[in-house]
Amino acid sequence: MGARWNQRVVAGTAVGAAAVLASWLGVGTARAATALSIAAVVLVAALALISSSEFRRDHPVVARAAISVAAVDVSLVVTGFFSSTVDSNLAIGAAMSIVLLGLSFLTGSSGQISIGNGAFMGVGAFTVAIWANHHATTPIAVVLLLAVVAGALVGLLLGLPATRLRGPYLAGMTLAFAVAFGAVLNLFSTWTGGDSGLQLPYAVNAPAWLVHFFQPGTSSLTTNSVWLVDVTIVTAGIALFFMANLFASRTGRAMRLVRDNDVAAELVGISLPRARVIAFTVSAAYAALGGGLWTIINNAVTPATYGFALSITILSLVVIGGIGTIPGALIGGLIYAFAASVIAWFTAHTGLNPQGNVASQLNGIIFGGLLVLTILFAPTGIAGFVRRRWAAWRSR
Amino acid sequence: MIRANGLSVTYGAVQALRDVTFTAETGAITAVLGANGAGKTTLLRAISGLVAPRSGTVSLDETTLTGERPEDIVRRGVGHVPEGRGVIAEFTVEENLRLGAMISPMPLRDGLNQQYEWFPVLGERRKQAAATLSGGERQMLAMARALIAKPTVLLLDEPSLGLAPLVTAQLMHTVSELCATTGLTVILVEQNAKSALRIARRAVVLYLGRVVADDDAAAVAQDDQLRQYYLGMVK
Amino acid sequence: MGSFLTSRNVADVLGGLTNGVIYSLVALSLVLVWRSTRILNFAQGAMAMIAAYIGFAVLAPTTNYWVSMAVAIIAGLVLGGLTERVIVRGLYGKPEINPVVAMVGFLLVLESVAAAIWSTTSRGLPTPFSIVDWQINHKPVALSPFALYEIVTAVVVMTVIALLFQFTKLGLKLRAAALAPEVSRLLGVRVGRMLTLGWMLSSGVGAVTAVLVASNYFTGLTPTTMDGVFAFGFIAAAIGGLDSPVGALVSGVSLGIILQFVGDYLNSNDIILVALGMLIVSLMVRPNGVFTRSAQRRV
Ligand SMILES: Nc1ncnc2c1ncn2[C@@H]1O[C@H](COP(=O)(O)OP(=O)(O)OP(=O)(O)O)[C@@H](O)[C@H]1O
Ligand SMILES: [Mg+2]
Repeated sequence: MGARWNQRVVAGTAVGAAAVLASWLGVGTARAATALSIAAVVLVAALALISSSEFRRDHPVVARAAISVAAVDVSLVVTGFFSSTVDSNLAIGAAMSIVLLGLSFLTGSSGQISIGNGAFMGVGAFTVAIWANHHATTPIAVVLLLAVVAGALVGLLLGLPATRLRGPYLAGMTLAFAVAFGAVLNLFSTWTGGDSGLQLPYAVNAPAWLVHFFQPGTSSLTTNSVWLVDVTIVTAGIALFFMANLFASRTGRAMRLVRDNDVAAELVGISLPRARVIAFTVSAAYAALGGGLWTIINNAVTPATYGFALSITILSLVVIGGIGTIPGALIGGLIYAFAASVIAWFTAHTGLNPQGNVASQLNGIIFGGLLVLTILFAPTGIAGFVRRRWAAWRSR
Repeated sequence: MIRANGLSVTYGAVQALRDVTFTAETGAITAVLGANGAGKTTLLRAISGLVAPRSGTVSLDETTLTGERPEDIVRRGVGHVPEGRGVIAEFTVEENLRLGAMISPMPLRDGLNQQYEWFPVLGERRKQAAATLSGGERQMLAMARALIAKPTVLLLDEPSLGLAPLVTAQLMHTVSELCATTGLTVILVEQNAKSALRIARRAVVLYLGRVVADDDAAAVAQDDQLRQYYLGMVK
Repeated sequence: MGSFLTSRNVADVLGGLTNGVIYSLVALSLVLVWRSTRILNFAQGAMAMIAAYIGFAVLAPTTNYWVSMAVAIIAGLVLGGLTERVIVRGLYGKPEINPVVAMVGFLLVLESVAAAIWSTTSRGLPTPFSIVDWQINHKPVALSPFALYEIVTAVVVMTVIALLFQFTKLGLKLRAAALAPEVSRLLGVRVGRMLTLGWMLSSGVGAVTAVLVASNYFTGLTPTTMDGVFAFGFIAAAIGGLDSPVGALVSGVSLGIILQFVGDYLNSNDIILVALGMLIVSLMVRPNGVFTRSAQRRV
């Protein structure tokens, strides 16, 4: 492969060092240390691949895979050290970042926007719940794939008019879909369980061999939250890999050109009518995947979750993070993971009545306000802002 | 009298006008000539305030116009018939005229009657949508709409565009008559150099945003070099 | 005759008409800003809701209905003007998703602020007329004095707007500024002022709508009262064509009547689904609306 011998030596040394370090760290059991060492080896190998610019040029797809693997690898290790609260927040946020990746791609490649991705999430969420209730033995990966397919189909149906629609009309149509989604669920209430929604018939747990590997004799992996966040992170990693390739495709390249240019970045979108339906379908499929994961994480699904408000939240996150970019989607997911905690902390420290009207509305006021301010003063969001600062710093 | 002094205009990287200085005398027609992209339209837009110059000034008689907004400049008596005429197609002929008369000191009826006298065809079509007018009729409407506000200066951007030679001749005649009878100052941007030079007192020739000639119209019309290189006229 | 007036279909038409004029008003309000600023105001319903709260919650509940209505309208006008000056002005000439995003954000802010100040608890609004249906031979006609008042108000508002635009100097300037801003400036029209005025008018119409909605519907006034109404109003506007005031009127009323029949003969859950279906089909067939002349030439 592309990496030269000296890089391999460096990589090998680093692997060795990492393994030794890991076993010296106080990580409980010898097995945990082994796992940590494996993670370190994987990380260093991936980094070694990415660090060679030659390799990145000659094997872009493998390089992107390596980046995804490295990101997932680090995240998996890190989640092992967090409290279960942080882990479940992270799981919810990681699933959200999948949704945001889809919406970011839609806007980035076609200049259009959807205010209905909360409903597409709902499609995925209910697909998982309904399928699991009828076929409890289907592997969870397959059920998630079904959710993706369902989301793509609904997205395709709604996206068909998108070839001919101007932005605001399409946005309005997706808004109408978001508002109507509750009624859609009601229409199939024998399947969707009406207002109370559905429970999963089983809990999604770590496989026995893995549990035994880490904690011989106990029945679960620390708590279920570690397993759930890890499943979500792996899924997000796969979604990220595919999206990175999509972004690098012809459509994506034109998009990046726009994004990097300050003046053109104002234009956010470029006209590529052919890509519109595809982009819309992809964004719906990604949203459905995120929703499917939410059902698994929560072990249940309720229609109220997938109301109009969620769609607006998704829009806020993607814009604040940086619309049309991959980092923007990941930043948005992180914000979502911890926004509630931060706002709760803020409420506690400002002496607001946590049960009061103001406290309960802070979320909306902050996100809505940030949304307006971002689009007016920093339309490329946090990712765009950081990128520009970074470029300015490097060119000094 | 309109005077441009050291006027420069840029659009991003494109410099459309470079240090343009010239004077349009009161009561006369000043022709502004030049090839496509020479900066003629930009010059008129800078005068009427639609684009802000990067440097230089425009003044009307003794007062400066630079920095004022177009809606205020037109109130100072500078009428602008834009390139492509700018007739509002969805409006009727009379609605277009009423819009033009909004800032006129004259009662609306009198203004309308005067224009219908100047341009009888507009009187016949007054209730018709402007979209249904012919090219020549639209040009008349655009001129009438500017004149109804009683301007002292009229900026005309390629009025002959798309018109038959005969109609162009009529139009030029109308313009010079207006000048003679009302003391109107006209800046006439034209591709059709021949007919413009015939009625103009002075002519300014632009080339890539620069003034390359500013002389009596007759002198410009005689200058073979100018005619060949900048105006694309053959002998 | 009496039995005809109390029959099921007539009841549906009357009920549909009452809802339909509301959709028409929302659609009209959207058309007013779309025509002048090419912005689809997703915060239209929320702005109207705020105006209604200012008219009916800030003033003591004992205040006269008409005073409250007037205050709401004034609040609507002011809010519309402020919105244009503070938020919308920075969005002209930007990519078309920017205003969409900004107005959605504004919607979220307004609804959250309203809930923070006035809570999410619904409050009933006073009604100036009885909401009990008239009766013929002891059978109810699907029309109450209040419903009639609603229809009349809508007709009055639309007529006033139409007269203003068609027959006044101001209307001429408003239309010109919307159709050809640059030419208008060359003719001395203060286009910026016209755009602000367009937003004020739109928002004033919205305020009237919100007051009618909040006093008529079972929901009363809540921060999200206008969400559903806005969705139907948008659907009406999109079907009619965002450029066409007449389209807004006709498709709003038609939508109201059709949906009333849907709710009566199918069930109420299907109403929004049918509306969504109509929207999708109509957008596929005529992307710019039924009442918009295709490919208008601008010279
Ligand atoms: N809005 C604009 N943005 C960028 N460049 C512009 C703009 N308007 C004009 N230009 C450029 O400025 C230069 C002068 O344009 P202008 O329209 O003034 O030419 P003109 O002499 O009127 O030409 P024509 O005879 O074709 O009407 C041209 O190179 C043109 O491409
Ligand atoms: Mg020109």
